[in-house]
Amino acid sequence: MSEQKLEFDVYEVFAQTEVMGHHVHEFSLLASSADMALSLAQQNFLRRAEIVSIWVVRRDQIAKSTPQQRKQFDRLEKAYRMKQSYRGLADKWRRYKENPLPTVSPSQSPDEVSGSLPRP
Amino acid sequence: MEMEATDVRFVEFQERIDRGEKIEAEDWMPDDYRNQLIRLISMHAISEVMGALPEKEWVPKAPTLFRKLAIMAKVQDEEGHGQLLMRVAEDLMEPLGKNREDIFSDLFSGRLKYHNVFHMPAPTWADAGVIGWLVDGAAIVTQGMSLSCSYAPYARALVRIVEEEGFHIHHGESICLSLAEGTPSQRMMLQDAVTRWWPALMMFFGPPEGSQMSSHQVQNMRWKIRTKTNEELRQRFLTKYVARIRSLGLSIPDPTLSYDQEEGIWRYQQPDWELFRSIVNNHGPMSQERLGLRRMTYEEGRWVREVLAKHDRVGA
Repeated sequence: MSEQKLEFDVYEVFAQTEVMGHHVHEFSLLASSADMALSLAQQNFLRRAEIVSIWVVRRDQIAKSTPQQRKQFDRLEKAYRMKQSYRGLADKWRRYKENPLPTVSPSQSPDEVSGSLPRP
Repeated sequence: MEMEATDVRFVEFQERIDRGEKIEAEDWMPDDYRNQLIRLISMHAISEVMGALPEKEWVPKAPTLFRKLAIMAKVQDEEGHGQLLMRVAEDLMEPLGKNREDIFSDLFSGRLKYHNVFHMPAPTWADAGVIGWLVDGAAIVTQGMSLSCSYAPYARALVRIVEEEGFHIHHGESICLSLAEGTPSQRMMLQDAVTRWWPALMMFFGPPEGSQMSSHQVQNMRWKIRTKTNEELRQRFLTKYVARIRSLGLSIPDPTLSYDQEEGIWRYQQPDWELFRSIVNNHGPMSQERLGLRRMTYEEGRWVREVLAKHDRVGA
């Protein structure tokens, strides 16, 4: 046991279990080549699942967000990007289907509106 | 080294835990949190590796082809769980310059202990069944708790492990139910196995805390490394299994075992905790034989690992 420790690389394993599915991170393993990682991935993590495809990536080839960056992700306010911020639209459409709003009376005639557009 | 506990990082770390956040491998963590996890996860990893050995003994002797394939799959799963957990432990040990070779050398030197149940003999096919049904049943009680561990990589590994343990329990239940429905001598064999395993199952969760928890355990609870005491886990196991064992006409070798309705707890005879300590210190009936087997395969497999290792760095 006093001999020098053996060196292996850490590989991250991603697997796709449905044709229309994404490659999802499974776990990591030790290997000294991509071939070895691919064959171990099947043995270690995918003994039961139906497999469409496996990706392995050497961990030191992955750029990752730092703990500091991960903390900042939490703080970003993004409700304005979400559908959920726009509630009640369906109710309005239903209401106006039955009771349309009054016709808008234009301030200008259609000719005047298009005439006011800048010329190319 | 580490600053004193007034360091703002300690406070912030505890606040993250209190908010229910999960800790990732590259996050800052107190040395003691890391060390507690290394201890827990190395022990879990090596117990999976050693845990395959009693059942492995039954691969050549399984009674049907289906049972043989199933128990082989289970043995392979246990070794696979060892692989997952060793990766989690290795990422934690990396700053200390350690890896799985240290886990194995600690096992062989006796510094790293493996679970008490895997020091016991499995002399009959019924023992193989009881290991799947009740030993894995006990393991699921503990692992079910650990799914909520604050250290995310361990909790993720457990999601995979618990899913496969579900198969193991079915495998064990199926063997035990076949024997329970079988001939009188098959039923007797099953009863003997339950009698043999009962003290080890009561030891499985560790000594009851009584009124005082160790300072380590208090700290581990605050850090949400664990959320239940040994005794709470044992009580849960009893609630889950006592009635089932009895429903097969089997008796449990503890005349004092009863449910105290008023207190809402199981009363049971304490196993011999001195014997427990002696067993986990590798003085159990099969400790040396199984360690010897593991050491032999580790040494005999060394050349394979050397061939597979990265040659550009060996000896560099």
